[in-house]
Amino acid sequence: MSTIEPEIAIIGLPESGKTTLLAALWHMVREPGSVTSLKFDGLSQGNYEHINGLAKRWRAGKKQQRTQTSGAKVVTMRLKNAEGREISVSFPDMPGEDFAGMWENRELDESVSLTLLAPAIVLVVNGDTIKFPAWIVERMQLAQAAGIEPDGVDVANWSADLAPTQVQVVALLQFLMSGSLGVGARRLAVLISAWDEVEGEGMEPEEVLSVKLPLLDQYLRNGRDPWAWKVWGLSAQGGVYEDQDKDERIAATEALREIERPSDRIRLVDGKAVSSDVTLPLDWLIG
Amino acid sequence: MASQPNACTNEDCSFAIDSKCVEGYPLEECPHLTRIAVEDIKLDEEMEVAPTEMKVVALDLGEALSRAEASSMQARRVSRVVGIIGPNDAGKTSLLASVYDLLQEGPLAGVGFAGSSTLIGFEKVCHDARVTSRRNAPYTERTTQGVDATFFHLDLRPNDGEIVSLFIGDRSGEDYLAASDDLSSAAEFFELRRADVVTLLVNGEHLASSENRHEAKATTPQIVDALVEARSFRKGCRVAIVLTKHDAVLASPHEERVQRDFDEIVDSIIATHGVHLGEIDRFVVAASPKNATKVKRGDGVDRLLHFWLHDTPTPAPVPRAFPDSARMIDLLDSRNGASA
Repeated sequence: MSTIEPEIAIIGLPESGKTTLLAALWHMVREPGSVTSLKFDGLSQGNYEHINGLAKRWRAGKKQQRTQTSGAKVVTMRLKNAEGREISVSFPDMPGEDFAGMWENRELDESVSLTLLAPAIVLVVNGDTIKFPAWIVERMQLAQAAGIEPDGVDVANWSADLAPTQVQVVALLQFLMSGSLGVGARRLAVLISAWDEVEGEGMEPEEVLSVKLPLLDQYLRNGRDPWAWKVWGLSAQGGVYEDQDKDERIAATEALREIERPSDRIRLVDGKAVSSDVTLPLDWLIG
Repeated sequence: MASQPNACTNEDCSFAIDSKCVEGYPLEECPHLTRIAVEDIKLDEEMEVAPTEMKVVALDLGEALSRAEASSMQARRVSRVVGIIGPNDAGKTSLLASVYDLLQEGPLAGVGFAGSSTLIGFEKVCHDARVTSRRNAPYTERTTQGVDATFFHLDLRPNDGEIVSLFIGDRSGEDYLAASDDLSSAAEFFELRRADVVTLLVNGEHLASSENRHEAKATTPQIVDALVEARSFRKGCRVAIVLTKHDAVLASPHEERVQRDFDEIVDSIIATHGVHLGEIDRFVVAASPKNATKVKRGDGVDRLLHFWLHDTPTPAPVPRAFPDSARMIDLLDSRNGASA
C-alpha cells in the first residue's frame, strides 16, 4: 500500500481557532464509531502529549490555552482515505502571533518559514471577530442622525495591527505566493470558524466570504496567485466553551457536554450541506 | 568510533569494578550503561553553550514602491501608470486612497481587486479617514515636499478581462507647482514621463471660494503649460481632468458657477494642448467627503478608475527633455516607451 506524506500548514491570525480545529480533528478520527472521510490509521513513533492535551480540553468543553507564542509544535497524524491509502499528515501548530508578526513586523523566523512551504494550506478566519473597515464620514452621519455629539477623544496614530482582518489575511496569502515562501500553485481550504455565531445571518460560507471579507473574496476569485481554493463554515466546538482559568460555568457548554458523541458538536458547512466530518477539508486538500 | 561504556546507573551493578552486567545483558543492549561517568558531566556554569542564533526571514515591506521597484514589477503583466498632478490640498492622496478603500467593500463598478504590493502604504494613507483613527472628520496627511515620487500598486481585473497592474504615482503638490516657476524642476517628474494617463486635479473647494477661485482658474492651466513645455508628458498621453471635493461644491451656494469655471479650465487646456495630448475627459469626484449627506464617499471614483484602466494604443515616448541624464532608469524609460 502506498503512503503519501503531505504537509498541511494551518494558518490564521491570533485566536482564529487553529488549535481548536486540531483538537476536534484528533478527537474525531480516534472516536470509536465516528464516520469520517479520513480515518485514523494508528499511532507512530513520536510524542502525542501536545495533541492529546488539546483533545482532552476540547472534550471537556474548555477553551484551548493560547498556543505558545513562538515556534511551532508539529503534530503528525497517520490517517487513511476511503481507498485505504495511508496518509501521514503533519500540521505545525503555530501561534497566531507568528502570522500577525508577518503583517506587523514584516519578518518571520526561518524555522517557521520552513513549515509554510507546505503544498496545502488551511486558512482559519474567525467569523465572529472579523474587523471590517469603518469610515468616519459615515459614522458621523449616523451619530448626527441619532443626535449624538462626537466626543473629543485622543487621535490614534496609525499602526499595522489596526488594519482590517481581510487586509491582513490577503497579505498573509500573498506572502505565501512570493519571495522565499513562493513554491508555486497550492491548495487552500478557507475555514470560517465560530460558524455557530455566523450562521444566524442565514448565509452560506461563500456568501460570508463575499460579504464579510470582500477583499479576500476578490483576491481569491480574480486568481492572480495560483490558489486552488474552497470555503467551508466550521463550528469545531459547536458553541461556547468555558475558560478554565476564569473557572467559568456556562449552561450552554453543559448542554454541549450532554451530547452523547462529542464529535456531534462539530458542524462543517459546505454550501447548504451540513456535516460533522471535520476531515472533509483535509481530504479535499490532499486531493 | 563509539566510546566504551564506563558507568552503570543501576546501583546494584558492579560494572565499574568487574565490567560485568548484574542483569546479564550484553554490554551493547544494557539500558543502564552510560558512556560517561557522573563526574564527567560539567556543572551548568562549566557548560559551553553555543549561542543559538535565531535566523529571521525578511518579508516584503508593503510600502509605496520606489521607481526601480515599480519598473521591475511592470514587466510582469499588462500595466497602466497614472500620474496625478494637482496643487496642494487638491486631494491627490485622498483620491488614490479612496480607490483602495472602495475595493474593501467589493468590486468597484466591475473592477475587482486581485492583489497589491503596497498594502501597508495604502493602509497608512487610508487611516485618517477611518474610524480607527478616532478622528471626528476625515483628514489626509500631506505628501512630503522635495521627495522622489513613489508608486502605489494594485492588480485589478476589469469585468473578467485580463488582470492589469495599476501604478499610481504620488508626489507633493508643491513640487508640481514649482514647475510653473522653474521648468528645470520638471526633469525630476519621471512618474509623468512614464504615465499612460495623467490626472490633473482641480480643487472644487477652491473654485467654490471667492478668495481662491481665480487663483485656481489661473494656476491649473499654467501647470499644464509648464509640464507640456518641459516635455513631461508623452505625446498622445491621455488626460483626466478631475474636479475634486464635490461635497464642498454642493455645500456651497456656487455649484453652477464652479461647474462653469471647471468647464472653462478644461476647454482652455483642450484648446491649447489638444494636439499634443491624447484623449482628454472630465470627471467630478468626492473621494473623501467631510459630509456625506449630499454625496456618497468615493462618488465618481469608479468612472475615473475605468478611464485609468481603459486600453488605448500606447502613446509614443517623448523625446527626452533632458537627454544628458546619466541615470540608467531614465535611459530605460526612453527606450521602453510604454513599459517604462
